[in-house]
Amino acid sequence: MLKSIIRKEILSNLLSYKFSIIVILSTILILVSIFVMYRDYCLALENLDILRAESDDDVENIPPTPLGIFAKGLDENLCRSWELEAVGVEISSEKQKSLNDLFKLFTAPDLLYIIKVILSLCAMLFAFDIICGEKETGTLRQTLSNGLKRPILIIAKWIGGFTSFILPFFMAVLLGTIFVTLSPMVDMNAHNWVKLGLFLLSGVIYLTAFFSLGLLISCLTHRSSTSLVISLFVWTILVFLIPNLGNILARQFVQIPTVQQLALKRERIMNRARFEMKRIPEARPDYKEREEVLLRRTIAEGDQLDEDYRNRFNRLVKVSQNITRISPAAAFTFLATDIMGTGMAEERRLKRAAQQYRDIVVEWYTDENRDEESKQPAFNYQRSSVKEILGQGGLSNCLILILFNILFFTGAYVAFLRYDVR
Amino acid sequence: MLRTIIAREFLNNILNLRFMIGLVLCIIVTVACIMILAHDYRQEMKDYSARMNLQDEILDNYAIANEYRLIKMVRPQKPPERFRPLIIGIPGDESVGFFDDNPLPILFPPLDFLFIVTIIMSLLAMLFSYDAIAGERQSGTLRLVISNSISRTKVLFGKFIGGAASLIIPFILSLLVGVLYVSVNPAIQWDGSAWAELALLTAASITFITLFYLLGLMISTFSRYSSTSILNCLFLWVLLILVIPNVCPYISAQLCRTPSIKQTKRRDREIEIHSLKVAREYMKESIKKFKLKYGTLFSEFESMKFGGVGFLIDAKPEHEKAAQQRAEADPEFKAMMDAFREEGKKAQKELIRIREESGMLWEDLETKAAEQTKLAKNLACISPFANFVYVARDLTGTGLRSLDYFEQTKGEYQRRQFHSYVDKKIDDAREKDPEFEEDSFIDVSDRPRFVFKEEALKDKLSEVLPYWGILVLFNVVFFAAAFAGFMIYDVR
Repeated sequence: MLKSIIRKEILSNLLSYKFSIIVILSTILILVSIFVMYRDYCLALENLDILRAESDDDVENIPPTPLGIFAKGLDENLCRSWELEAVGVEISSEKQKSLNDLFKLFTAPDLLYIIKVILSLCAMLFAFDIICGEKETGTLRQTLSNGLKRPILIIAKWIGGFTSFILPFFMAVLLGTIFVTLSPMVDMNAHNWVKLGLFLLSGVIYLTAFFSLGLLISCLTHRSSTSLVISLFVWTILVFLIPNLGNILARQFVQIPTVQQLALKRERIMNRARFEMKRIPEARPDYKEREEVLLRRTIAEGDQLDEDYRNRFNRLVKVSQNITRISPAAAFTFLATDIMGTGMAEERRLKRAAQQYRDIVVEWYTDENRDEESKQPAFNYQRSSVKEILGQGGLSNCLILILFNILFFTGAYVAFLRYDVR
Repeated sequence: MLRTIIAREFLNNILNLRFMIGLVLCIIVTVACIMILAHDYRQEMKDYSARMNLQDEILDNYAIANEYRLIKMVRPQKPPERFRPLIIGIPGDESVGFFDDNPLPILFPPLDFLFIVTIIMSLLAMLFSYDAIAGERQSGTLRLVISNSISRTKVLFGKFIGGAASLIIPFILSLLVGVLYVSVNPAIQWDGSAWAELALLTAASITFITLFYLLGLMISTFSRYSSTSILNCLFLWVLLILVIPNVCPYISAQLCRTPSIKQTKRRDREIEIHSLKVAREYMKESIKKFKLKYGTLFSEFESMKFGGVGFLIDAKPEHEKAAQQRAEADPEFKAMMDAFREEGKKAQKELIRIREESGMLWEDLETKAAEQTKLAKNLACISPFANFVYVARDLTGTGLRSLDYFEQTKGEYQRRQFHSYVDKKIDDAREKDPEFEEDSFIDVSDRPRFVFKEEALKDKLSEVLPYWGILVLFNVVFFAAAFAGFMIYDVR
C-alpha cells in the first residue's frame, strides 16, 4: 500500500503545473548560477596570477577555492591580499576583484543562495497542500475510508512528495557539476569532492526540514489558501527575518568598535613610537637596545589592541550565531560555508594563522643571530579538512538541522493523526 | 458604484487572515527593526565621536612637517547616515578594506526598512492580489457582479484602489509607529530635509508596493484558477526580487571586462621605468655630443654636475653656484650651459610624453569600470527591486552615490583646505626656524576641521527620478496589461 501511495503522489506531482514551473525555475537558476559563479572563479584565478607576479611585495594571499563556485560565502574576503605591519595586519590597499560597485548592493547568486532561499520556498510550495489540498478536493476522506492507516499515508505522502521535488534538483546540480569539473580551470581534488558531497547532503537535510514544515502547516490548516499564506510568512521569517535580525540584534549585546576606530588606535600607537624613537639620540651607545625595546613594546601594545578587538569580535560572532541558529536557514548557511571552506570558521582560522605568522616574522626580524641575507619566512596556509570542520561546530549545525527535521515531521505526524478529514 | 466596490474590496481584505498576519508581521518587524537600529545608531555616533577624538589626538600630538605624511595622517571620518535608524548604509571601501572587518553582513545582510519593503511588503502585495479576479471567478461572485450594470473598468479600478488601500494601511501604520519612536528619541535629530526625504521615501515605497499589487492583479486576470495564479506570482516574484538583481553585476562583469588595478599598476611601473631609461639614454647621448663639441670646457662643466641644468642628474647648491659664476664670466660657457639646459628640457619632454600613456591606462581603467557599473545598473533595472533600491538608498544618503559624495567632499577638504593650510604652516615654521626639519613636530591645532554635510535634496532627487519613473512605468504597464486581460476575461 505504501508503495502505491508513493507512486500516486509522485505521478500526481509530475503531472501538476506546480511541478513544471518549479522544475523550470530551479533548473534554469541552478545552471545559470553555476555558470555565472564559474566565470567569477575564473576571474579570481586570473587576478591571483597577477597578484603573484608581483614578487617584490611582501604581500600574502591564498588562492580561491573551486568550491566557492557552489558556496562563495566569505571567499572574496579570505582571498584578499594582505601584508604585515608593525602593528596589525593590513589589506593591501588595492581593491582585489572589481571596481564594479554594484556587487556591494546585491548577494552572490551561488548554489548556496538558491538552496537556502529559492529551493526552500519551492519545498514549501510542494508541501503546503499535501493534506489540506486533498481534504478540499475530497480525496483524503475517500483514501482514509479504506483500511489505510494514517501513519502510512503521511509517510508515503512525505516520501512521494519529497522524491518528486528533490529529483529535478539533483539532475540540475549534476549537470552543473559536470560542466564545472570538465573545465580545465577547475581543479577538484578528492577532499573537494568529499566537501561537495557533504554540502549537497546538508542541502538535502535543509530542504527536508522545509518540506516537513510545509507538511506540518498543511496538517494544521483546512484550506490550502490559508496554508499557503502561513507557509509564505513562516518562510519569510525563517529565511530572511531571523538570520538578518539576529545579525543586528547581536550587536546590542556585544559592544565592538568599528574597524576605522581600530585603525586609528593602531595609528596612534605607531605615531607615539615614532616620536619616542626620535627622542633617542643616535649617538648613545645603547641606541640599538633601546630601539629594540621600543619596537617590542609597540608590537606588544598593538597585539594587546588586536587581541581585545578579536575577543570582542569572536563573542559577537558567537552571540550572532546562537541567535540566528533558531532558523534552519542560518544553521545551513554556517554549515554549508564551513564545509566548503568559505565560512566564519575558515575566516577565524585564517586570521589566527596570520597572527601566528606575524609572531614568527617578528621573531625572525628581531633575531640578533639572523643572517642578513636570509629571506623572510614564507606564509603557508591550507584550508580546513572535513574532520576539522565537523569538530569546529559543523556537527552541531548539522544536528540542529536534523533536530528541525525531527521536530517538524513529528509535528506533522501528530497533527495528521488528529486531523479532521471531513 | 465605484465606491461600493472599493469598500467591499477593502472590507473583504481586512477581514481576511492574510491581512491580520501581514499587519502583525509588519508592525512587529518594522517597530523592532527601527528600535534596534536606533540603538545601533547611538552606538555608531559614540564610535564616530571616539574616532574624531582619536584623530584629533593623533594630529595634536604627532603631526610632523612632512607635507605628504601629514596629509595622509588626516583621515576625515564619515558620520553615521542620519537614516541609519531605518536603512543600513553600504560600507565604504575604507571599512571593507580592513583585515579585521566583520564579515557577518556578507553572509546575512542586515534587516532594515529596505528589506521590509522589498521582501515582506512585495510578497504581501502579491498575496493580496493573486486571487482578486481568478478567485472571484472560481467562487462565482465575479459573474454576479458583472451581470449588473457595472463596467469592467470600474470593477478593476475598484479592486485596485480597495486592495492597495488595505495593503498600504499596515505599512503606513507600522512606519508611523517606528517614526514616532525616532522623533521622540533625543539621540536622533532630523531636520526639515530629512523629514522631506522620509516623505519621499514613503511615496517611493508605496509606488513599489502598488507595482507588486498590480503585477498580482495582472497575473490574476490572465489565470483561470487562483492556484495557478499564485504559482505564477511567486515565480515572477522570485525572478524579479531574488534572481535578476543578484545575477546582473556578474553578467556585466563578463560582458564588460576591466583590467585589474594590480595589472594596471604594474604596467604603470613598467612605463615609469621605460620613460626613465629613455630620458637617461637621451641625456647620455647629449653628453657624448657635447663632449665632442666642447671638449675640456664641457669636462669642467661636468665636474660641476652640469650646474643643475641637466635632467636626472643631482647637483648640490654649491655646484649650481659655481656653474652660474662660471657662466657669468665666460659667454662660451654660458652658451654651452644654455644649450645643455635645452637638451635637459627635451629629455624631460620625452619622459612626460611616454608617461602620458600611463595616465591613459588609469583613465581607461576608470572608464571601463564606470561602463561595467553602468551596464550592471541598467541591466538590473529590469527588476523593480533594483530600481527601488537605487531610489531609496540614494534618496536617504545610504547608497553608492552617498559614498562617492563623501569621497568627493573628503578629497576636496584634503586637497584644498588642508593642503593649503599645511603649506602655509610649514612655510611659516621654516621662516621662523631655518633649522626646522621635515620630521619635526608641527602644531596644527588651528587646522580647518572636516565637516560632512548631506548632499542637497535637489541633487538627490535629480539622480533618483529616472529610477522612480521606471517604477511608475512598471505600474502603468501592469495596470494596462491587467486592464486588457480583464476586458477579455471569461467570467464564467
